[in-house]
Amino acid sequence: MATSISFTTPKLTSSFSSSPILLQTLLFSRKLSASSLHFPASSPQTLGSGTHSLGRLRGLRCFTVRAESENGVEPYAPRHYDFDLFTIGAGSGGVRASRFAANFGATVAVCELPFSTISSDSSGGVGGTCVLRGCVPKKLLVYSSKYSHDFEESMGFGWKYDSEPKHDWSTLIANKNAELHRLTGIYKNILKNSGVTLLEGRGKIIDPHTVDVDGKRYSAKHILISVGGRPFIPEIPGREYAIDSDAALDLPSKPEKIAIIGGGYIALEFAGIFNGLKSEVHVFIRQKKVLRGFDEEVRDFVAEQMSLGGIEFHTEESPQAIHKLPDGLLSLRTTKGTVDGFSHVMFATGRQPNTKNLGLDSVGVKMSKNGAIEVDEFSQTSVPSIWAVGDVTDRVNLTPVALMEGGALAKTLFLNEPTKPDYGAIPSAVFSQPPIGQVGLTEEQAIQQYSDVDIFTANFRPLKATLSGLPDRIFMKLIVCAKTNKVLGLHMCGEDSPEIMQGFAVAIKAGLTKADFDSTVGIHPTAAEELVTMRTPTRKIRNGSSPEVCWESRAPSKSVS
Amino acid sequence: MSRKMLIDGEGNQTTEEQSHYDFDLFVIGAGSGGVRAARFSASYGAKVGICELPFHPISSEVIGGVGGTCVIRGCVPKKILVYGATFGGDLEDARNFGWDLNEKIEFNWKKLVHKKTEEISRLNGIYKRMLANAGVKLFEGEGKIVGSNHIEVTQLDGTKLSYSAKHILIATGSRAQRPPIPGQELGITSDEALSLEEFPKRAIVLGAGYIAVEFASIWRGMGATVDLFFRKELPLRGFDDEMRNVVARNLEARGINLHPKTNFSKLIKTDDGIKFITEHGEEFVADVVLFATGRAPNSKRLNLSAVGVETDEIGAIRVDEYSRTSVPSIWAIGDVTNRINLTPVALMEGTCFAKTVFGGQPSKPDYSHVPCAVFSIPPLSVVGLSEEHAIEQVNGELLIFTSTFNPMKNTISG
Repeated sequence: MATSISFTTPKLTSSFSSSPILLQTLLFSRKLSASSLHFPASSPQTLGSGTHSLGRLRGLRCFTVRAESENGVEPYAPRHYDFDLFTIGAGSGGVRASRFAANFGATVAVCELPFSTISSDSSGGVGGTCVLRGCVPKKLLVYSSKYSHDFEESMGFGWKYDSEPKHDWSTLIANKNAELHRLTGIYKNILKNSGVTLLEGRGKIIDPHTVDVDGKRYSAKHILISVGGRPFIPEIPGREYAIDSDAALDLPSKPEKIAIIGGGYIALEFAGIFNGLKSEVHVFIRQKKVLRGFDEEVRDFVAEQMSLGGIEFHTEESPQAIHKLPDGLLSLRTTKGTVDGFSHVMFATGRQPNTKNLGLDSVGVKMSKNGAIEVDEFSQTSVPSIWAVGDVTDRVNLTPVALMEGGALAKTLFLNEPTKPDYGAIPSAVFSQPPIGQVGLTEEQAIQQYSDVDIFTANFRPLKATLSGLPDRIFMKLIVCAKTNKVLGLHMCGEDSPEIMQGFAVAIKAGLTKADFDSTVGIHPTAAEELVTMRTPTRKIRNGSSPEVCWESRAPSKSVS
Repeated sequence: MSRKMLIDGEGNQTTEEQSHYDFDLFVIGAGSGGVRAARFSASYGAKVGICELPFHPISSEVIGGVGGTCVIRGCVPKKILVYGATFGGDLEDARNFGWDLNEKIEFNWKKLVHKKTEEISRLNGIYKRMLANAGVKLFEGEGKIVGSNHIEVTQLDGTKLSYSAKHILIATGSRAQRPPIPGQELGITSDEALSLEEFPKRAIVLGAGYIAVEFASIWRGMGATVDLFFRKELPLRGFDDEMRNVVARNLEARGINLHPKTNFSKLIKTDDGIKFITEHGEEFVADVVLFATGRAPNSKRLNLSAVGVETDEIGAIRVDEYSRTSVPSIWAIGDVTNRINLTPVALMEGTCFAKTVFGGQPSKPDYSHVPCAVFSIPPLSVVGLSEEHAIEQVNGELLIFTSTFNPMKNTISG
């Protein structure tokens, strides 16, 4: 609802734009009016023209003119907003959209909950899940846990330890938290340097152009919701004894014996982390296999490698209750029986969009059953002035995708270049041990969509393993459309898969063919060169039916050409 | 048993159906290029013979081994040593991730070298089986060309075998060279470096190419004191200048002492070790002095001039785009032709040769955009033009994007 607000002549000081106390009423002032700023009603406003001059005016509140009849305001009355864009949530998507919008000349504010390692209705932090409770701390813990494997591996290369290296959990967590603080500070600087106004507090939408942050109200031409998601623990008896990934990243001490419930990437990554740090790890999954949605052969391969590493999988076994025993340990009752003696039970059974208490229902923003905000291809919600990007929209929940969505939105709104995020050939990784990298279709999807496909696989012992004696192997798969020779999908599980897959993702995105791959000279000696030297298909599928098996193209060990 | 005679890929040659040859193809040298060419030619139906010197990690004019430089004394053993050395740095980082390690962790060079030798012996066996499985006949001994269609193999017991071949392929590779300075016999080459008995606590490495940089990194990673001497301002001439600088700074950061713009004068044996004297008279003492100053094609003992096969001033065999020498029935691939001396390129040349001569598809190796890596610690990898080459070759504007950052692993471990 538009309220009339008075406005005092702005001063060109930087403190002006960063001050949160701008709750003055704005008066329509003819001097600053927008006589030169008449824009047609239909297209998203751009402040792109003359961005150079607007850039200098960043400390100045800019007016935007709208001739909209949407909420009963007179069609031709120019409208003044505190900000061109108000973003709720300063995570990957929110920060990207906000600072790019500001770079394009928009006045932008973003609000975020105060920092905490554990997320809640009242805590979060600039940087969001990725930086504080996801990607970054996860990767640091994976690095840390991987050393135990490296120590063992190094012994095959002549290194000798007088005593077995021991790990101190609190050193790791302290160093991890120091890094998080450093990063959240960097994100705050990024916002500040872009001229984005950062407000600390809980944002709530009052109407299509108004956001309330802890009692103070701000008006904005556009509102962006990028509040992300949070771990979900199902309602079972003893739920209060369970932890989620937030808590797992900040435990006071390392688990001795942990039950991880779930078969997705978060469950597998934590299984690898705790196993590497010498905890006893049990993974309970509802399905027959881990990583539903991934290529079948990869699902099998990673589970086997993880089992060889000491992780125990309990398949088709779901939790029913958690009991705390007199000795303080936890007992887990499942559909198949009871397992005792856990120091920790962790649920990694999914995450849900953070859409409660945002005022979305009353303003009319449509959501799906699990609370995800429904958006169109431009990330616009059912309310034209309200947009949403990132995990809260539950499209592809990856940081680089949130970055893409945020960047596209900034262009659409403030550069007059309507841009749709492109969800084709998005690569991703699972930082299990061994890790997985993938891009494009799985074999199952390829058969469904293309019917005639050639499958090339390689399953070998890398050079390092021939010396270390460890059971490490590498699995690679190339999926090729038989008709066009286009590479439809690429999957790899083994050391360095994520790093290797990033480079090849460019080839898949570019639509390159198997012939292009084959004409690329390899780098020797590497594991990656296998991907450009797969000569014989392992199997050929025609008409989407049972494969004609060719002999397995498999090198006995890595170094043989 | 006669095999089907195959027609040359080139159309302008008349089929010599009347002549009988012992082999359609005889290959001298069973390294990366030779083995690839032999196997693929056999798969096209050719009758193939191949000869190779007897196996030993240290090569000479009469010692080599199936698998060649790459498998026995190049890529593979080098990578094994790099892996071993890389652990050294990693173990330091582990402490910042919470691991409690003893102050000094011991490294056993002998154990690593022993395991390395086991692995290359295993691979040598695999390569022999690959040839056998492809139906290629392997001869152990030194090959020599005696006519445009005739070769001679001198076996270990001295007996000579003579064979005729429709096509002869030279794939004898190259060998490390020692610079002609006084005392050069006191130094070693990469062959010996990969098989040293004792770990060199003090190592001097002479050279600026990838081999010099890799060995400097290897020994330093294992705890040696390393001094690297080279003639220019930066190592790795030919690479992008900015990258050369990054590599040099990284080597220094790991504790390798760089001595740029230094020419070598001589080596002298002393009680304390080998004394190395520079052109300017500075003296350094080390347990090992490694010459990594270049490799030369192995073409001297093949009798090439008598047969009319042309070589250049360093002995590399001159070939056309199809790898054919100045003698129509004689071909050459791999390091002996000194084009791009990388295993995957030798493989490409071997594959193209087989396709051209026996597969009926004249194929020229494509040398554009060949990626490569230098396994220094940390490593360098490149594909395409350096900035300097791009500026030279590209008409118009260039945009250079660079990124220098501290990887996440180092932010917590410093």
